[in-house]
Amino acid sequence: MGVMSWFKYKSPFGLAFAFQRITGIILLFYLILHLCYLTSLQSRELYETLTSITVSRQFIIFDSLLILCGVFHGVNGIRIIIHELGIGHELRRVVLAVSAIIAILGWIIGSYILFMALGD
Amino acid sequence: MKFVIRRFKDDKSFWQSFEVPVKKGMTLLDGLFYIRENIDPSLAFRASCRMGICGSCAVKVNGRPRLACETQLSKFKKEIKIEPLDNFRVIRDLVTEFEGFFAKHKKVKPYLIANTDYENPIEQLQTPEELKKYYIFTLCIKCGSCLSVCPSSATLESSLGPAALVSAYRFNADSRDRGKEERLKIVSESFGVWRCHSAMECSEVCPKQIEPAKAIQLLRRETLR
Repeated sequence: MGVMSWFKYKSPFGLAFAFQRITGIILLFYLILHLCYLTSLQSRELYETLTSITVSRQFIIFDSLLILCGVFHGVNGIRIIIHELGIGHELRRVVLAVSAIIAILGWIIGSYILFMALGD
Repeated sequence: MKFVIRRFKDDKSFWQSFEVPVKKGMTLLDGLFYIRENIDPSLAFRASCRMGICGSCAVKVNGRPRLACETQLSKFKKEIKIEPLDNFRVIRDLVTEFEGFFAKHKKVKPYLIANTDYENPIEQLQTPEELKKYYIFTLCIKCGSCLSVCPSSATLESSLGPAALVSAYRFNADSRDRGKEERLKIVSESFGVWRCHSAMECSEVCPKQIEPAKAIQLLRRETLR
């Protein structure tokens, strides 16, 4: 079945696993794109021109989604580490619910800070 | 109730519907037997004990693996979708090939390796506390539900899968066993414990609630000692 099996989840845990994979790929792709973008900026004028496009209200939705990917990947990663240490398997549903709440709160707070920073 | 069954004949798969009269207390397995005895005798499925012990009748019900003999039809509304388990080769209709699954199981030496003197055998004593350490994992009935939902097993066929690793942990945690090192060597290889990505689907679908994901993590910990 290959990688398509990631999306044949039967429970919220399988869904979290699929999201972990997807967000991991998105973050890797973004990192490569980000490094390519930064290394291509050879002058101050070019830097200011390009950042005026990307650091804008039109791009805030992408930045917000990037925060969601990063926060979810990090929090879910910590949840997996906890279980991989053999801890809390019986409480896994509670741990998943708590990590989902933390991820959503982190996303909202991060997006708010970003929005406020752009407002200045 | 409408039974929608995914059938396989001559390398072709198709969905077929059957109307089954449902009575109180009727299980999915009863429904399948009703179809075979009254509607279509060619319907193939596997069953044996009818009481959740043999693990033969695991099928995918509305997308989730379940034991047909322990699934009450009253749980469902008007329609029920039944398919063979994923990650197994289908032989016919709901019957899947389990040879590979048992071969993986055999690989981890799922038996007690003890220093037994067969000329003068003595009782192998164990305290209730020692039994408690692994008892839950002895309840595995090898139904294959865990392997059918394991994304790691789906992407790598040689992956041992949850059931075999549960067995390995069960015997390693047994105070009477002396084969720990042999088993740890086997499960430490790339197709063993390190193949697990902690998706935890195995623990969610296990009909005996034995937490295969926990056994794998405990086994991992042992390999690092």
